Amino acid sequence: MTSPEIAPPPAAGAGQPAAGSAQPVTGSIQPTVHAGQPAAAGDGTAAGTALALLISVVVAGAACLIAVYSSAESARAGVAWGTGAAGAVLCAAVTVAAHARLTSRSLRAAVSAGQTRLAEREAADNYFADGTVPAVVERLRRGGSAETALAEAPPVSSEAQRRVLISLAREVHRGENMRAAAMSACANAAGRVQALATSMAADLREMEHRHADEDVLADLLELDHRNAQMGRIADSIAVLTGARSGRRWAKPIVMESILRGAMGRISGYQRVRLHSTSEVAIAGHAAEGVMHLLAELMDNAANFSPPTSEVHVYVEEVAAGVVITIEDGGLVMGEVALRRAQQAVSADHGDLTTLSGTRLGLAVVGRLARKHGLSVSFRPSAHGGTGVLVRIPRELLTERRREEPAPMPPAAEPAPAPRASLGAQSTPPPTDHVRPVTEHSGPAADHAGQQDPARPAQQRAEGHDQQGSGGYANAAPPPQVYGESGLPKRRRGQTLAAVARATAASSQTERSQSGAEHGAGEEAAADGTSPAAGRAKRPSGTRFGDFRRAVQGTGDPEESGTSSPSSPTRSSSLSEDDTE
Amino acid sequence: MTRPGRDEDPDRLYTVTGGRSRSTTGADTFDLVTLVVSESAPVRGMQSEHAAILRICRFPTAVVELASDLGLPVSVVRILLGDLLAQGKITARHPRRARTADALPDPDILKQVLVGLRNI
Repeated sequence: MTSPEIAPPPAAGAGQPAAGSAQPVTGSIQPTVHAGQPAAAGDGTAAGTALALLISVVVAGAACLIAVYSSAESARAGVAWGTGAAGAVLCAAVTVAAHARLTSRSLRAAVSAGQTRLAEREAADNYFADGTVPAVVERLRRGGSAETALAEAPPVSSEAQRRVLISLAREVHRGENMRAAAMSACANAAGRVQALATSMAADLREMEHRHADEDVLADLLELDHRNAQMGRIADSIAVLTGARSGRRWAKPIVMESILRGAMGRISGYQRVRLHSTSEVAIAGHAAEGVMHLLAELMDNAANFSPPTSEVHVYVEEVAAGVVITIEDGGLVMGEVALRRAQQAVSADHGDLTTLSGTRLGLAVVGRLARKHGLSVSFRPSAHGGTGVLVRIPRELLTERRREEPAPMPPAAEPAPAPRASLGAQSTPPPTDHVRPVTEHSGPAADHAGQQDPARPAQQRAEGHDQQGSGGYANAAPPPQVYGESGLPKRRRGQTLAAVARATAASSQTERSQSGAEHGAGEEAAADGTSPAAGRAKRPSGTRFGDFRRAVQGTGDPEESGTSSPSSPTRSSSLSEDDTE
Repeated sequence: MTRPGRDEDPDRLYTVTGGRSRSTTGADTFDLVTLVVSESAPVRGMQSEHAAILRICRFPTAVVELASDLGLPVSVVRILLGDLLAQGKITARHPRRARTADALPDPDILKQVLVGLRNI
């Protein structure tokens, strides 16, 4: 019999995700139309019924004729009527049965076809929800326009889906545009505020140096503090919006400065107690991030603890780097809160969806920790509150020690010239051949002093032993040798009289061998033949030393022997002999 | 100044002084030329400025020179010195004390000056 044909699979293959070939623009999203089934089914049923009727009529007619012709003549009319009626009834019954059967078959086929189509439609809908829409949204999030995303989307199976997809794409695209615009506006604004805060910090520092008045200084320090807090907020926004970090430090920053830089950015910095003996420094590129991270954690600690309690910061050097512990005496965070905080700082997603709006701190901490490879963990504190452990990996550390407070001149070259001339004026080296050595060793020790303060001291000590009283440059105290102007410094507490005594102790012949340009003045002063010439040539302190020597008689030889001549005076520093 | 570039130190001055802007010892304890002598060596864990002061002041140093060496304003150095003085780690000497006591120098000194000048 004519079975209803199985519905052909949808032309576009709505159930197959593989149909991802790029097709022309939105017009490609056309619903596929199914061929109508009921008409064909109806035709089949009618034909089948007619066929059944025809066969039954033929068979019944034949049977009737046979019965009529085979029966007796007398009964022929009755038989004809009877068989005719029976045949008609039989035909009708057969036809009805055939029709019913065919109809039911066709209906069953239609139902199953409908079910198949329904399943296909469901699959298409599922694919639309799980595949097409996420793909379009993802494409839009990556920055594509709505048209591009729609063009690249797999084809949809119905007009309704197409419309949904188009309006969805437009909305998401708009939202994405707004988000990007807001982010870049925030980043830009934060960058500008950062720049302003940085330049204001520099200006404030300069003013703090310029104004000696304590009232003015107090105001300036207050402003400075406010400015630093403002800078931190700008930094936070910059970090969250993905802008680059505000400041970069060209040199490694020692731990003490890191901690103080961090605590200076929070409002309650006076409650922060630093316990650090660490000498490590943090590489310049990471210093700002570490400082900012610590500032946020300190701010949290200070904010979530009573205003009278202190926040303690400990630094511990471990094998894997440095561990900084920030402990407060505030509320103990519960298990859930600890876990949430931990999640906030270690979550790997970079979006701002979890941002609560008012609590930016931990999100900033998480970002910075990821950026610099720091690990942050929370635990209950021994102080009763919460402790935060920050581990700074060894890669970010350098062993550079803090600069000496009296910094050596970075360029050692200019130093020898003034030193030589000054030395010539006050204390000429005893022999000519010593002077180049001292001049050479001065800058060498000086230069080394910047890198390792421990070694130069030793070097200087050795130089002192080797050269004895000859090397005036070596006689300076180890912590500082030269002022920042590049001029040598007189050792504190060593009077210029001692210098002069040493000068007097050195022999006349040696001094006459020293530089010709000053020799005349020196000799004249020592001889006492021409005081005026000596005064003209030599600084007042040295003159006074001579005078002192004259008062006290000649300097005792043992002192001049043991104490090396001190480094010559700076013209700016008057001898205390003048004032005592 | 010790800053070749623009603000190359993350330390702010209020963190150096712990938020104080006034010396606790009074303004007249340390004037610009007060000589400061350290009485003890710096210990580990000390604030670096304090340690630096103690190192520099191993020999008497004027306050103004300290400020210049540390690169800090004099007012801030005064505050730091006040801390150290309160802890007994430094002593302050006033160079002008003798002269302000009486206007004229001691006649003996003048005599010595005279002798000295003659000897020169």
